[in-house]
Amino acid sequence: MSGRRRIPWGVYLALVPALGLLGFFGYYPDISGLVHSLTNWEPGFSSPFVGLANYRAMWHDSLWWESFVHLGIIFVVAVTAMWVIPLAAAELLITLSRPRWRLFFRYLLIVPLAFSPVIQVLTWQLIYDPNVGVLNGFLGQLGLEALEKNWLGDPNTALWALILINFPWIAGLPFLIFSIGLQNIPGEIFDAAAIDGAGRWKRFLAIDLPLLLRQVKLLFFLSVVFVLQYGFAPYIATQGGPDNATTVPVLRIVGVAFDAGEWGYAAALSTTLLVIMMLMSGLTLLAGRRRAPGGAR
Amino acid sequence: MAGAPTLPSRVRARPITPRRLMDLAAAAVLSCLAFVGLFPYLYMLETAVKSDSQFNSNEATPTWPLRFGNFATAWREVAPYLLSSIVVAACAMFGCILLGSVSGFVLARYRFPGRNLFFGLIALLLLVPNMASLIPLFVLMRDLGLLNSYPDLIIPQLTTQTVFSVVLMKTYIEHLPEELFDAAQIDGASPARTYWSITLPLARPIIGTVALFSVISVWSDYFWPELTIVTNSLRTVPVGVQFFQGELTTSYGPLFAGYLIASLPLLILFVALARNFLAGIEGGLAADR
Repeated sequence: MSGRRRIPWGVYLALVPALGLLGFFGYYPDISGLVHSLTNWEPGFSSPFVGLANYRAMWHDSLWWESFVHLGIIFVVAVTAMWVIPLAAAELLITLSRPRWRLFFRYLLIVPLAFSPVIQVLTWQLIYDPNVGVLNGFLGQLGLEALEKNWLGDPNTALWALILINFPWIAGLPFLIFSIGLQNIPGEIFDAAAIDGAGRWKRFLAIDLPLLLRQVKLLFFLSVVFVLQYGFAPYIATQGGPDNATTVPVLRIVGVAFDAGEWGYAAALSTTLLVIMMLMSGLTLLAGRRRAPGGAR
Repeated sequence: MAGAPTLPSRVRARPITPRRLMDLAAAAVLSCLAFVGLFPYLYMLETAVKSDSQFNSNEATPTWPLRFGNFATAWREVAPYLLSSIVVAACAMFGCILLGSVSGFVLARYRFPGRNLFFGLIALLLLVPNMASLIPLFVLMRDLGLLNSYPDLIIPQLTTQTVFSVVLMKTYIEHLPEELFDAAQIDGASPARTYWSITLPLARPIIGTVALFSVISVWSDYFWPELTIVTNSLRTVPVGVQFFQGELTTSYGPLFAGYLIASLPLLILFVALARNFLAGIEGGLAADR
């Protein structure tokens, strides 16, 4: 084939705009960040080379590592509860025998996706408000005044209050991926299982779960992306406080760059975040590849 | 609701089968989950039509009369943010559809040296989180003198969305029937014509997906406009609503009316294009395989 065809030179011309844009605004900043992480970066002035000093400073930055502990807690919730509840909802959805009901509930469950995440956080902020918030109001109505708290202002509850924003976390990619996955399982498989006398729970364990496991690689990757970039909710609702209880790496980076003006150090932290991200993604992809040949497709 | 009238007769014909019981149980649990998920938005809607005194005397349940005047107050505050967001979203959307469809078409339909390398380089950017590039990108934009301008808002959106767009379009165009392109070639259609008259019309569903994703992205991006924009009229919705909150600290009615107005374009688009949205995720899953 290729011997007969000449190289279509026009294709390179067609790719130039996209490659140019992504090269200059996609690749260049990351490389620039990597290079300048080895300097005392003063945007607009000369930036003296300082070797690994920024990375050594990072090693002793207790706030930076504390922020990863918070991220770890968020990540554990993101790959357990934030998958289990959407999975349960997706299972319930295909349990419904009428397609019309399925469609109705699916739309109802994903409506929150249509609201800006910032507006979601601002709304929850008011729900958590210690004085006029409905959460404390509700507890008061039940006679549980003792449980009333300044949810976002108390170091013991602030991180959990942030995590619980958008509970029950159904309006998101995990739910959509699970429900599309379940929908794409051919009906004959379910019929065969029913004839063999497999109940609903047994079918879930024997058919649904193994078939959905194929999506777990993708979901894990998406969770890594989501968690490592997590930051705007604490930035808006708690500014990383109280007492640094909700600091996450992104907040630390923004603080180091924009408040302290230490651009070289911020570049070192950014590059570290990027490397962690690439490592996690690489491992996810490799782990998936080893399992793939045994898969159904 | 055409199915509703048949429901009671079925109930009478077959009282309670296990299947019906399971349906009812599932619907009941799903209703609870949907209610908890929608509660903040119902609360937003309910608060948006309250006056200050109504809110102060009763923050939880609806009160009468409904104060629709809050929406007029809120509109004056939110309109500039909406305009800015729409300009940014429209430019990024148009740009990423153009770049994505051309590159996707070329990468999917032609064999040439470097094809896999170029696609790999583009797809690799999917793994680079925006937040990791924030600092160096800020310095780049500063050096270019673009901070606090429309290009400053549009370019990062365009970059991120083009990556998605190329990957989704390439995968989609690859799966279009080969015969159509062979037929076009036999008829002597030029590559440009094949792109314009065959690929683009067939790729309409995925174009809808990409369009929706780019609007969602503008309505979600917070840090970039927050850190680079100081002119109030340039602020996009995510940062604008926060400033607007400062203006109306204690007036929750107009505040929530403003949140609703600010959400409206995305909400409408979402309802109109929900099918594309789901198709896009399915396409993404296919690309992942």
